[in-house]
Amino acid sequence: MSNLFRDRSPYSWSLRVGTGRRVLDLPLIAWLTVIWNLLWGTLSWGNLVNGVLVAVAVCLAFPLPAVDLGLRLRPLGILRLGAYLLYDMFSSSVQVTRQIFADDPYHAAVVAVPLRSRSDLMLTATAVAVSNVPGGSIIEVRRATATVFLHVLDADDPGAIDSARRSVRRTEELVARAFGTAEDIARVARPAPDPEGDPSP
Amino acid sequence: MNAVDAVNAWAEAADLAGAFLLLLGCFQSLLGVIGMLRFPDVLSRSHAATKPQTLGLLLVLAGVALRLRDGIDLGTLALIAFFQFLTGPVASHLVARSAYRTGQTGSRGLLRDDLDPQLSDEDGR
Repeated sequence: MSNLFRDRSPYSWSLRVGTGRRVLDLPLIAWLTVIWNLLWGTLSWGNLVNGVLVAVAVCLAFPLPAVDLGLRLRPLGILRLGAYLLYDMFSSSVQVTRQIFADDPYHAAVVAVPLRSRSDLMLTATAVAVSNVPGGSIIEVRRATATVFLHVLDADDPGAIDSARRSVRRTEELVARAFGTAEDIARVARPAPDPEGDPSP
Repeated sequence: MNAVDAVNAWAEAADLAGAFLLLLGCFQSLLGVIGMLRFPDVLSRSHAATKPQTLGLLLVLAGVALRLRDGIDLGTLALIAFFQFLTGPVASHLVARSAYRTGQTGSRGLLRDDLDPQLSDEDGR
């Protein structure tokens, strides 16, 4: 459909309006129109036309800066990411349930996980994906070193920290294969930056 | 006649599965509340307050979808799931971040803390 699906130069699917920074991003307008129709609940020509009009008006009234997000949509990768997240949510949920009803106190830990990709979008998407899975919550993100700091609920087990770190990296890889550019995927395919896990200074 | 029976059977099965998923989703959200009550400190509680609800909501939405079985309604439900998935982490991150920075990491302390040295470095500069 557009450059979203392939590695092509960004903004090959946008219209420049006038001389200023006003750029009509066609994928964004399509997405806003879809939301408009879903919120109305009925698909009709009237809703479709109104949706396009409202989307164009919103884009003109509140112009977004022309930033190349580096977003690609890879349907197969998105399916795999979704399946993995669902599986992870269920299996971690069982673990958290066990911790909720455990009698003896557990010990939490804050673990640094350096990521391999450097793009802002990959960092954000990985953090959001990890945050939605029970058992690890993100308390800090360092953009310069692309490090996320994870609060692990039950760190008594020596393998827990390692497995939390592995799971973040697995999520990162799947996120890059779902939304990343070819460069992101190449970065993620490399081995983990430091197996020891000490945060780089 | 047979075809109508088969359609009815499928509809009934979908209704039943939907009801089961709704119940499962409610149970999952209840677990989150129990976790809120049982966990001692803010950071642990934020685990229980956000994530079981996300999964619970997904299950409830799936249950509702199985009972509604209508194209555009499924789209609206998917939209709810999408925005829940996108906005939940922002709120939970802000709570966790401020809890950590005000030292509310629990009375038993952390077994290991990779973040503290980095924050201390910044203060020293």
